[in-house]
Amino acid sequence: MITRRSLAQITIAAPLLATGLGRSAGAQAARTISGGFDVGPGGMPGNFNPMTATAGFTWLTLYLEPLVIYDAKLETVVGALATSYSVSADQLTYTFKLADTRWHDGQAFTSADVRFTIELAKNAASGSTFAARLGAIASVETPDARTAILKLSAPNAGLLDTLTKVMILPQHALAAIPPADLPRHAWWSTSPIGTGPFKFTRYVSGQYVALSANADFRGGKPQVDSVVNRYFESTAGAVAALRSGEIQFSYVEADDVANFRNNPAFRVIEGNSFVVNYLGFNQEVPVWKDLRVRRAVMHAIDRAAIINSLYGGAAVAANCGYVAPAFVPAGLDAYPHDVAKAKALLAEAGWDKINGAKPITLLTYYNAPLAINVMAAIQAMLAEVGINVVPRVVDVPTYNSLVYAATPDWNSFAMVYAGLQNGPDPSIINIGLNEKQIPPAGANIMRVRMPKLSAAFDAALGETDAGKRPARYQDVCKVMNSELPWGTLWVTARYGIASTKLKDFTWIPAPAGGPYEAHPERWSI
Amino acid sequence: MPRTLRYAGRRLLAGAAMLLALSVLVFLLLRAAPGDPVDAFVNPSVAMSPQDMTALRERLGLDQPLPVQYLAWLAQAFRGEFGYSLQGTGEPVLPLVISRLGPTLLLMATGLSLAIVLGISGGVAGAVRRNGAVDLGLSVLAFLGISSPAFLSALLGLYVFSVRLGVAPSGGMLTPGVPFALGDLAAHLLLPGLLLSVGHTALIMRYTRSAMLEVLNQDYIRTARAKGAREISVIARHALRNALLPVVTLIGSTIGIAVGGAVFIESVFNWPGMGLMMVTAVRARDYPVIMGAALVIGAFVIVLNLLTDLAYAVIDPRIRVG
Repeated sequence: MITRRSLAQITIAAPLLATGLGRSAGAQAARTISGGFDVGPGGMPGNFNPMTATAGFTWLTLYLEPLVIYDAKLETVVGALATSYSVSADQLTYTFKLADTRWHDGQAFTSADVRFTIELAKNAASGSTFAARLGAIASVETPDARTAILKLSAPNAGLLDTLTKVMILPQHALAAIPPADLPRHAWWSTSPIGTGPFKFTRYVSGQYVALSANADFRGGKPQVDSVVNRYFESTAGAVAALRSGEIQFSYVEADDVANFRNNPAFRVIEGNSFVVNYLGFNQEVPVWKDLRVRRAVMHAIDRAAIINSLYGGAAVAANCGYVAPAFVPAGLDAYPHDVAKAKALLAEAGWDKINGAKPITLLTYYNAPLAINVMAAIQAMLAEVGINVVPRVVDVPTYNSLVYAATPDWNSFAMVYAGLQNGPDPSIINIGLNEKQIPPAGANIMRVRMPKLSAAFDAALGETDAGKRPARYQDVCKVMNSELPWGTLWVTARYGIASTKLKDFTWIPAPAGGPYEAHPERWSI
Repeated sequence: MPRTLRYAGRRLLAGAAMLLALSVLVFLLLRAAPGDPVDAFVNPSVAMSPQDMTALRERLGLDQPLPVQYLAWLAQAFRGEFGYSLQGTGEPVLPLVISRLGPTLLLMATGLSLAIVLGISGGVAGAVRRNGAVDLGLSVLAFLGISSPAFLSALLGLYVFSVRLGVAPSGGMLTPGVPFALGDLAAHLLLPGLLLSVGHTALIMRYTRSAMLEVLNQDYIRTARAKGAREISVIARHALRNALLPVVTLIGSTIGIAVGGAVFIESVFNWPGMGLMMVTAVRARDYPVIMGAALVIGAFVIVLNLLTDLAYAVIDPRIRVG
């Protein structure tokens, strides 16, 4: 029986089908996995140079490998190109035992490649975004082809985390290229070689990148012949491609998840964003100097209501910069929603005198519809206690130009709604809160000057005993909770959608795309 | 003919001056916009130190005074180079822009061809059957088409034809990982081309209808009919040819507007053309790519306008250029 819908389909599809054109839609070569691997905040489409990458590591680790990598729970740093590693008691010597493997062109991988890569990554002239973070490495020793030793001038708590993002590069292929020419050298997008389970095959500018299986991969021949990373201008485009079956995987916005939740053809992957969202109180703006005002803001915002009604429960309230249990001590103030208390705190602080009803700019770079709804809710809740904020949504470059300006207009970002990566390495938020990190030294854009907080960070960063480190970060958390350098709000979940046709497919919404142990050689379709 | 050539030469010289002015304007507008390529590069959630940002600015020459930056760009442009993209691995701008020009021209040619064929046919049909059911139906469609912004029709088209009906690819120009096939290209082209044509079809249809109605009331049409010419010949040879002049003007000016429409269509359908490249470049404050693309688009519009003016003389011998 021909239904009205099928009649409409036949009518509209007829011209396409008559010419045989419609049939190619969604056609893919056999045993190929296609996905939007660079869609969303973890992606960095079009960037193939790992030295300049600030995201996109999920894709890069399909053909390149770092020395060490996070496990798939983002909890532990384990070996990748290093089969094992050890750190000396004084935290000044890192010894890596290297895998016996070969580059995609057949040349042997050795410790010389490790030394070459680390030295290149330390050289800012190469465009490396790791130069500052690897500054503590004084030398790289290579006693034999299978051992690399990093000697540090001072302990660096974040070194292993940084090393997970430094992809080891082939000295024999790159040594002849001057470092200054590397950032825009064609090698990256035409003939890069790595040691990973897939080989770089083809990049079609702005469209897709294709990789083919590396049959000689030391972890076993990949289960699929190729993997294709398609580029999408928007998440909506990726969602359309997912739903039409053209791709089998993509990151999606939280709003899109409901469309896939009960669809047996898809699997929803949910994970921690590792980004703490906060209201930043610009400490150069006098209204925020009084702790009672900052406490009033916290009590004015009904975080539970926003998490439940706007995020659909897919967020965890943050009472400091962390939500990971290891770094959150007991007895924190949860700042429950309490309008009367907020009003009382403001009255006590003399809010009418220090600001009154004057509008305060609430700047953000989050421009997705969900974030705009969150901003509207925050605006309404703060208005209820007498704090008049006006949200201003701008794009990322505009936001950065305001908060990093050489001569800032403090009132243009008197308050911000922003996020900062808070893990897996807890030391990462130091750059946004320690007094020593006030621009131009670091990214303490809210100009937080709180000696207790800076001291807590310094103690945590300088802790050489790994067993004691969580307690140090709990101290950081306690100070954040009591002093409120930021009004910490929540850590949201992020989502990916995978076709149920994919087997043994590992993906997590890791910040900056990881990297983490995804074992792409095991993926099948 | 020499007069036409002199005219074309003068117009091209004026066009070159306009391009120079355009480059200054785009350069200044870009620098006036908040944020620079380094600001766009830094993810606020993954902090980077301002010292690293300063080092990046120095490497990209963004720390130089504006006149120095512009003159350096101009010197490059006179050598036929437009620098390197500041995104990804830094593709050279000129080959990048040229590689994106083809897909945009293909998309625009498809959209405009469809618009011209459908618009003129619809306009003629509406005028010939004035106030009839066909005319009324076409008028309603034309108004719908004119009222539909490109981004709306593009999103609706994507949802209906790709997601719901599954009869067209959801984006891209070719199926990744599959050898090139003309049918594959056509399958990817048809839907965005059709959606790009919607607004232009409607406009051309309305213009053609109104021009045809005016011409059909002229004495020479009555004379042609009185002489026993067949109706099809009256419409096609006598009426349509004379009615086409304003329509050709419209089509000429439509090309510039179509570039704007292509930006939306390319973004929604991930069509690897100039529009998509420009959107990405503006978001990344990729100055060299924006400058290069603006000049190429400017040159394209200038040349097409010149060709349109020259086409007048071909269509209507009474018009002399120069």
